[in-house]
Amino acid sequence: MSISALLSMGRCCCRCCCPRGLWMLSAPCCDDRRMCVCPGPRRIGIPVRSASLPLFSDAMPAPTQLFFPLIRNCELSRIYGTACYCHHKHLCCSSPYVPQSRLRYAPHPAYATFCRPKESWWQYNTQGRRYASTPQRFYLTPPQVNSILKANEYSFKVPEFDGKNVSSVLGFDSNQLPANAPIEDRRSAATCLQTRGMLLGVFDGHAGCACSQAVSERLFYYIAVSLLPHETLLEIENAVESGRALLPILQWHKHPNDYFSKEASKLYFNSLRTYWQELIDLNTGESTDIDVKEALINAFKRLDNDISLEAQVGDPNSFLNYLVLRVAFSGATACVAHVDGVDLHVANTGDSRAMLGVQEEDGSWSAVTLSNDHNAQNERELERLKLEHPKNEAKSVVKQDRLLGLLMPFRAFGDVKFKWSIDLQKRVIESGPDQLNDNEYTKFIPPNYYTPPYLTAEPEVTYHRLRPQDKFLVLATDGLWETMHRQDVVRIVGEYLTGMHHQQPIAVGGYKVTLGQMHGLLTERRAKMSSVFEDQNAATHLIRHAVGNNEFGAVDHERLSKMLSLPEELARMYRDDITIIVVQFNSHVVGAYQNQE
Amino acid sequence: MGSPQQVAPQLKQGRSGQDAAASEMTGFQPFTHLLQTRYPRGSDWLNFGHVPIGYAGEGKGYIRTGSIFLAQTQDRLISLKRINSRLNVIGIPSEIISPKKVAELHPLLNVHDLVGAMHVPEDAVVSSADVALALASAASQNGVQIYDRTSVLHVMVKKGQVTGVETDKGQIECQYFVNCAGQWAYELGLSNEEPVSIPLHACEHFYLLTRPLETPLQSNTPTVVDADGRIYIRNWQGGILSGGFEKNPKPIFTEGKNQLEIQNLQEDWDHFEPLLSSLLRRMPELETLEIMKLVNCPETFTPDMRCIMGESPAVQGYYVLVGMNSAGLSFAGGAGRYLAEWMVHGYPSESIWELDLKRFGALQSSRTFLRHRVMEVMPLLYDLKVPRWDFQTGRQLRTSPLYDRLDAQGARWMEKHGFERPKYFVPPDKDLLALEQSKTFYKPDWFDIVESEVKCCKEAVCVIDMSSFTKFEITSTGDQALEILQYLFSNDLDVPVGHIVHTGMLNEGGGYENDCSIARLSKRSFFMISPTDQQVHCWAWLKKHMPEDSNLLLEDVTWKYTALNLIGPRAVDVLSELSYAPMTPDHFPSLFCKEMSVGYANGIRVMSMTHTGEPGFMLYIPIEYALHVYNEVMSVGQKYGIRNAGYYALRSLRIEKFFAFWGQDLNTLTTPLECGRESRVKLDKGMDFIGRDALLQQKQNGVYKRLTMFILDDHDTDLDLWPWWGEPIYRNGQYAGKTTSSAYSYTLERHVCLGFVHNFSEDTGEEQVVTADFINRGEYEIDIAGHRFQAKAKLYPVTSLFTHKRRKDDVELSDLHGK
Repeated sequence: MSISALLSMGRCCCRCCCPRGLWMLSAPCCDDRRMCVCPGPRRIGIPVRSASLPLFSDAMPAPTQLFFPLIRNCELSRIYGTACYCHHKHLCCSSPYVPQSRLRYAPHPAYATFCRPKESWWQYNTQGRRYASTPQRFYLTPPQVNSILKANEYSFKVPEFDGKNVSSVLGFDSNQLPANAPIEDRRSAATCLQTRGMLLGVFDGHAGCACSQAVSERLFYYIAVSLLPHETLLEIENAVESGRALLPILQWHKHPNDYFSKEASKLYFNSLRTYWQELIDLNTGESTDIDVKEALINAFKRLDNDISLEAQVGDPNSFLNYLVLRVAFSGATACVAHVDGVDLHVANTGDSRAMLGVQEEDGSWSAVTLSNDHNAQNERELERLKLEHPKNEAKSVVKQDRLLGLLMPFRAFGDVKFKWSIDLQKRVIESGPDQLNDNEYTKFIPPNYYTPPYLTAEPEVTYHRLRPQDKFLVLATDGLWETMHRQDVVRIVGEYLTGMHHQQPIAVGGYKVTLGQMHGLLTERRAKMSSVFEDQNAATHLIRHAVGNNEFGAVDHERLSKMLSLPEELARMYRDDITIIVVQFNSHVVGAYQNQE
Repeated sequence: MGSPQQVAPQLKQGRSGQDAAASEMTGFQPFTHLLQTRYPRGSDWLNFGHVPIGYAGEGKGYIRTGSIFLAQTQDRLISLKRINSRLNVIGIPSEIISPKKVAELHPLLNVHDLVGAMHVPEDAVVSSADVALALASAASQNGVQIYDRTSVLHVMVKKGQVTGVETDKGQIECQYFVNCAGQWAYELGLSNEEPVSIPLHACEHFYLLTRPLETPLQSNTPTVVDADGRIYIRNWQGGILSGGFEKNPKPIFTEGKNQLEIQNLQEDWDHFEPLLSSLLRRMPELETLEIMKLVNCPETFTPDMRCIMGESPAVQGYYVLVGMNSAGLSFAGGAGRYLAEWMVHGYPSESIWELDLKRFGALQSSRTFLRHRVMEVMPLLYDLKVPRWDFQTGRQLRTSPLYDRLDAQGARWMEKHGFERPKYFVPPDKDLLALEQSKTFYKPDWFDIVESEVKCCKEAVCVIDMSSFTKFEITSTGDQALEILQYLFSNDLDVPVGHIVHTGMLNEGGGYENDCSIARLSKRSFFMISPTDQQVHCWAWLKKHMPEDSNLLLEDVTWKYTALNLIGPRAVDVLSELSYAPMTPDHFPSLFCKEMSVGYANGIRVMSMTHTGEPGFMLYIPIEYALHVYNEVMSVGQKYGIRNAGYYALRSLRIEKFFAFWGQDLNTLTTPLECGRESRVKLDKGMDFIGRDALLQQKQNGVYKRLTMFILDDHDTDLDLWPWWGEPIYRNGQYAGKTTSSAYSYTLERHVCLGFVHNFSEDTGEEQVVTADFINRGEYEIDIAGHRFQAKAKLYPVTSLFTHKRRKDDVELSDLHGK
């Protein structure tokens, strides 16, 4: 990959280097790479002094390992080194507009090797130019691109019974494309077995994937349990007590790559059981209608609470102990949809988004947002934060569009650094395992940390009653919404889904058509179809557009190929993890519901 | 006409409307695809456009237009040249022409991408509606009643014999019933109490009609077939009629549609787009021509691209004539004639085994199989037909228990009657070409592989899985088994227990209905081995001739045994080591059968024959022992240099030794005397077996054709086109017959062809007696795609092939290597 190739890609997520989407090798903000800041896709910016502290990355690729081969290879790699630097998982930084001031720690010696003084930068730069003049061509072929794009795709069709599809959901397509290694996004989909309805959710992790993983495994159980009637809860509890077989609660729809943690399963179960025991105790018999909205809110809050408690209590098993700490110290946003007949609830915490695709009578598509982002762009969130904290913190609670100047989403699971008191944080870290103790990030207390908690997992729940014109719902992490406008997203999915099903056949009828005219028309139709039929999965199709769209809104293979062949270390600069679920609704069933009333 | 399920209750009545309409459109293009394949041999009569004249008479929409078959590639031109040489010898004028000449013949054609073409000046088109009407009125005049708009519900059968037809308007009694229901023949066959399985399936077929050109096309404008472009183009009322056989056909009847919906199938322009592009590339001037309509009419296709006719094996008097693979009209006349002969005389005047319903069994009637297979067959009509083509769909239906083992060792597979058979074994270090690239009329990429397998058969020992062969057991309480076999077979089967007899199952004319080997297991039971595709036919023949309530027990045991063929001089060593029994010719002479133990397994039927003329053994192994015996053979055989071999090696060995094979060289019209098998006929065995009279007469009068082996002399294996089958044989410059099969003999280092030599009188063209002298005194040439190669004719195999003794001083170090 040559510099020129990078340059030609135009768009860059790393706003520290390219505030206007331009890649500038000699940008002043990059003079001191220690301070290189990435306010864009990184959720957390913290100053760090050690380059090798991968506490929150599950696969733990030490940055040094990533860099050394590059350095050995050629000078050019050093330029990468500097570039990689500002986006590395834990090395991320503050904003470009506030250089240097927040660096509290002296650089680690190993780290210093990457942080050459300014003079030598120019040296790299000239060499960079030299290399740029002989660009290496490395393109992926279309099948290679497809195999990358399709590696994580998953489709589920709701089975039909007796030839009649009674569910308002036809099925869903999901997919994810990693930018981080390993990917920090998670997705879940499941059918509730003891109540009606289907749950779908996307989870965007930060500071590692531990928290998003835990939430993706556990949240739906909390929701399902919250929705269960009292008798069912009793039945389940009795079954556990007497060692009988349990009623299944969820039918998961998982891609083979979506894994569940085996080790923590017992621990998670016990927490869940405590939850339903409390539900049983609270609600003694009088069967009240369960409110979905309330159930969702309770489930979210309860799970976050359990994550926090588990970390405080710890576990005798050292692996588990470390795991619960990693879960608690990393964070995750969640956007969950619950579909039951025509009732659609979306519970959102953080900046993932749920978008409804509506087909107007003239066949055009419009987007209806069913969730509010919890970030600095949301006035109501800013207001809420200011109200929840003393007046004197009004300036410090949100800085540079980040919570306490660090965190982009204003609501999230985990992230106990923003929830626990300083005392508690210190106590847990001190009693925790050594890995935790050595970690700069965990030890680091956010600035202006006076009145915790600053962060909550409480979701905002939106209710929508489905109408026949509501054709599909897109749940996606911010990786998608950063690159595409919601209107484009809905149009692309809408055209894809309808193209799959109803491309109108041509009939000559009584018209005068010549062979040449017909041929032109058919060739055009085929060209259109071929780009659609490349994907069998709406989510894949959307990712293809998100990553490969050129300025004209068409998928450009060359661009797609370049974006997908970026080295792991670079990928994160140009895009975030993208996770998408496209739920398709059955208009006939929805219409039938409507007619019943 | 036109109503679904309409079937002719009597002979000679029409077909469903759609079928007829479609064949009008495609009626002119049959012989491209049929002549080229191996299959329709003997059915050449079906192929030629003269048929309609026979019954419809000139003037019934019959227009002689001539036709041009275009070649865009050299390979296509080769295949046209092959057709050309075969057309010429049967008296149909045709020639290979240059692109320039093509442009002269047809003004609208773009010839820039052509390498050549074949012109058949006497080809013609007819209108199917006119033909059908002419037929119907001719039939009515002769007293045939035609019931219009009448649906057949099912056929009434009593004691395995047709007695009548149940229609929606009542019953019609009849002795014969012909199922000509086209695409509904499948369902109609199954509607019987004793189902008749007729494997065919319909696909949508599209053709385009346009308004007339500004200067309307002449009515005698030649019809054009651009097979590489997958289209045909002809004049239609001054405009163009063009359709084709696309790569991605749409089978119908499958998504729960009922039959009536078939009447109005939708036009699908997107589907037609590739064909339209192809048409405009061929005739760019048509751009401005106005479309009239795109017609979608179903065509039926069969699993092997050959039509289906003949009597049902299960119900007597139930005849079938369907599955014309879109060549219905051009075949109709001939097909009708032969079916009539079949019904009147009991057999047609030509051997049409390739078209016989009995070549299929119930195993080809799965809807899923048919749906998948026809999607391959329809494009195949215009695909390049190269030697040794194997269908890719509907595979792995019947397999030997060793399939996975052999597959893991590099086996490449071919299919016969649904059974997977290894062709050859690709060594781990060798890569073969991809399927499309491997198509060739020249030396194939597996040449070296088969060579080493053949060499191993000659020098060490090879094992070939031959489980696909049809195996029957016939037992009785008394002597009935021997009696019936003596009556049905030409050789003397009253041999001591343990002997194997090669013999033919002949028909009244002395022709081979089946060619098989029979082992006498005990005084009252016989084990019969026949070619794979005989499973239905042979069974039907035996059943038909067996007395009804005797104590005879006929059992199909094909599935019970796995057959391993150990071929080679060291087979003896391998087997004796495994059985602790002496296997030398003194103890185990040739053509003997013994039950013995091999490895741990007991009761293995070992026969000292190999179907190739090489020394070795056939092991018939109860399937549960198959893996064990195979493993034992392979591990013990290691030190004798054993390896797997496939059918291509077997074929080369067999043909170089002049072993004729039923279904390829032999058919129902060849007698043992015509292929030098007098020794397998015992005219005086004391039983008047079927066909004896015919043979006696032939012995007296002499034969009119003789199976001969030809060794190509000046043929360069690396550079020249390979022979396949059906190449014309010239004797002293005179056409004398056609080849029936061919193979490269690695021992002779020459190509060997088998074929029948006739003696056509130079003056009258009448057939005359062929004597050994006649054969020996001729100079022969084989015509491969227009190029004649000198050939030596032999009536008996080359003897040197049978001597394997190696001289001491020939031994070299490499003989110590494993093969």
